[in-house]
Amino acid sequence: MLKSASMSSYDLILSRDSYLLGLELRLYWSVAFLYGLSLLFFISHAITRGDTAGKTGQTTLLVTVTAHIALIVLRTFEAGRAPFQTLYETLSWFACSSSLTYLYVSRRWRSVYLPATLVAGLSLGACLYALLSRSPAVEPLSPPLQSYWFEWHVILAFFSYAVFVVSAAIELTCLIIKPLLSRGAARGYGLTLDAIDGLHTTAYRLVLFGYPLLTFAIFSGAAWANEAWGRYWSWDPKETWSLITWTVFTIYLHSKAIPGLKGLPASLFNILGFVCMMMTFLGVNWLAKLLGIPSLHVYAV
Amino acid sequence: MRYRDIHPIIEKVRPYCLEAAGRLKRFPQWSLKTLSSLMTSVYILGALALLYMVGTIFPQGGDIGEYAKAGGKYVSFVRFFDLLDFFSSPVFLLSALLLLLNLVVCTYKRYGPLFAKRVFPNTFDPTHTFKLTHDYPEALPEVRRVLHEKLGFRLVSKDNEWIVMEKGLSCRWLTWLYHAGIVLCFFGLILSYLFAFEGEMTLKPRTPLIVAPSTTGRLASLYQKTAGPAGFSLYLDDFSTEYIQHPGLDYPKDKLSRLAIGLGWKGPEYSMKNDPMTPKDWRSRLRVIKGGSTVKEKTIEVNDPLRYGGYTFYQVGYEQTLRIRVDFNPIALETKADGDIIVPGLDTPLRFGTVMTGTLYRLDGAVEKILPFTTVKAVLTGPPGGKKTEDLGKLELGGSIIVDGRRVSLADYEESSVLSYRYDPGVAVLWWGGAFVLIAMCLRFYGRSYMVAYAVDESDRIVCLNLHIVSKGLMADTEKLAGRIGYYLTRDDIRPVPLPPL
Ligand code: HEM
Repeated sequence: MLKSASMSSYDLILSRDSYLLGLELRLYWSVAFLYGLSLLFFISHAITRGDTAGKTGQTTLLVTVTAHIALIVLRTFEAGRAPFQTLYETLSWFACSSSLTYLYVSRRWRSVYLPATLVAGLSLGACLYALLSRSPAVEPLSPPLQSYWFEWHVILAFFSYAVFVVSAAIELTCLIIKPLLSRGAARGYGLTLDAIDGLHTTAYRLVLFGYPLLTFAIFSGAAWANEAWGRYWSWDPKETWSLITWTVFTIYLHSKAIPGLKGLPASLFNILGFVCMMMTFLGVNWLAKLLGIPSLHVYAV
Repeated sequence: MRYRDIHPIIEKVRPYCLEAAGRLKRFPQWSLKTLSSLMTSVYILGALALLYMVGTIFPQGGDIGEYAKAGGKYVSFVRFFDLLDFFSSPVFLLSALLLLLNLVVCTYKRYGPLFAKRVFPNTFDPTHTFKLTHDYPEALPEVRRVLHEKLGFRLVSKDNEWIVMEKGLSCRWLTWLYHAGIVLCFFGLILSYLFAFEGEMTLKPRTPLIVAPSTTGRLASLYQKTAGPAGFSLYLDDFSTEYIQHPGLDYPKDKLSRLAIGLGWKGPEYSMKNDPMTPKDWRSRLRVIKGGSTVKEKTIEVNDPLRYGGYTFYQVGYEQTLRIRVDFNPIALETKADGDIIVPGLDTPLRFGTVMTGTLYRLDGAVEKILPFTTVKAVLTGPPGGKKTEDLGKLELGGSIIVDGRRVSLADYEESSVLSYRYDPGVAVLWWGGAFVLIAMCLRFYGRSYMVAYAVDESDRIVCLNLHIVSKGLMADTEKLAGRIGYYLTRDDIRPVPLPPL
């Protein structure tokens, strides 16, 4: 039986952990606020077409991501492990890696800020979802999660997600702006029809980068399941949606090699792939609920 | 009936028959062509994506009766298409088979062309042009020397006016290789589908148990019920559990209070109410015994199974049997942890919780052995569907509590290890296929390869190098390559030197 007398010796540890968590939450809210601010600047750029608003948004996003990296480092220190275990933690990683990837990809662009609206919006949404609906408690690693596959599986899966988010943001911008540009509208966004072609190529290259990562994530997930539960595939909704995402991106890459599909249909496949990826990440049971179908396999998050 | 009578009918039907026969004759060719097309793969992959979706909407492995009881819709539709076991249904399996066929035909058809000599069109649009200072006869070998010696290009063809060279791993080969890798993965999946089986066994300490599966693979199940004894037994030397102390977090659910924490007006608080402990690991020290001797020993835990004889044994949990003594009765009652037991002389059934035993890793870094204890609850009759319980307290090994005037003590307990096992000859093939796919894919996507077609032109006495550069892979940079070619070709040229200022 445990001795309750020894409890008082934990006070120091508990108050330290509580203090660190309080600090983390304050930083996390600040980061969410900054994402919101940069989103406002990007929206203002989309409305006014002003370069200043876009530039300020981009700078704010850079500051936000720097603060967000500090937040992730703090969480790593607090938890004493890679912070990718709970949905609270993965949402944070998702927001940070998406924005970071965007900043990296957009570093050579001049006066193009439109794709950032979606990226900043998604990052803000992910942070608010984590802060308002999930518990920030540092959970101990349950036995199945104590695997060397776990960290690589999650880190690379989320890296591919980040890349797909940016690719979709670019693709969506192209799809909206291209028809406007050909009608002579949509000036002031730093985009020309030639630049749009370049953006399509960037979106394609991003998928090329993310696809092997997603492939690795699926294989490593299967290898992990095989080590932990003795079955590499059990058609769990999360697994199945990751396969759907992978299949849709395969269709996208194939359609890029088919002359009749490499234009608009390919772009639509890319965006569909992004939607499927979001389903894999968050919306697994949403469809079943929407159709009023009882799900016996509510995936633990 | 005479031939004369049926002749007109035959004449009428004849063209249709001939056409049908013609189509039949062309069918194998047509199907091969269709199956080797990239477009077909888009259709099949699209159809499969939709089918996967169906499988995520309907609860897989569910029972149709339960499904209907839970208010599930479209019951007859669900039953007809086997939607609760969709990934084993004919519709799904046939679609997957069609993709495999598509993939095999496609890979087969593209194998030959990998070795074929590549033919380039006679005219290219140059993507880059350099003015050379070499004479025309010198220019050609010089360009060749720079590309080959300085930049590592290999000759591909020099049949026509354009000379073609390449550098890096061949993209066609890599693309082909990872498609072949996917075929290998499919082969692993098929092996799993046909031959894999699994089950569970509960190992009591120091009691050897023969591994004798009660099922067998799909194919073997057509002619036998079980796979038969595996020819060895498992022996559990020891089972142990490790716990860690896990503080609880006092954190509000409502959004405004959370915002208040974000603003620093309040703080979240960790606490250690009721000595919270969470399992960290379960370990079984196992021995494989064959022909009376130990042939393998291993301590397994979750994520670290034991492999032997084609089987893999996984730690999935444990079972505890508790021996309860009432008053000083020499005969102990046996009960399973977390099960209800009716104790003679007591009005309410009792429920004994899991015996906490093993090693505890404390929050402050101390490690200690837990003195085994359980918790006792009285099971009260509650509302239908759920029983109410009342906590009666903790009970240490050898200790006792008084319930309804009777002394209830924990005399002893026994822990058995619950293992699951699986026999799956497809796994190794699948991993080989996967490694193949990943390596080839990474080389193809992240690497770089270039193909350069060039011609030296001498119109108007100006010697020019016309280049057409094609690149693949994310690391490839055509502009950089063009720059390097330009640099090497003009490096030794005499350039005007700016005069020093006066
Ligand atoms: C699970 C099935 C499949 C997967 C995951 C897959 C994956 C891919 C990927 C990612 C690419 C684009 C990368 C590149 O350009 O090298 C690609 C290209 C290609 N795929 Fe597939 N594929 C599958 C099935 C098929 C099938 C059934 C065919 C046969 C028709 C096929 C034929 C091709 C060809 C010819 C290319 C090269 C396109 C080009 O010229 O760039 N694939 N595949």
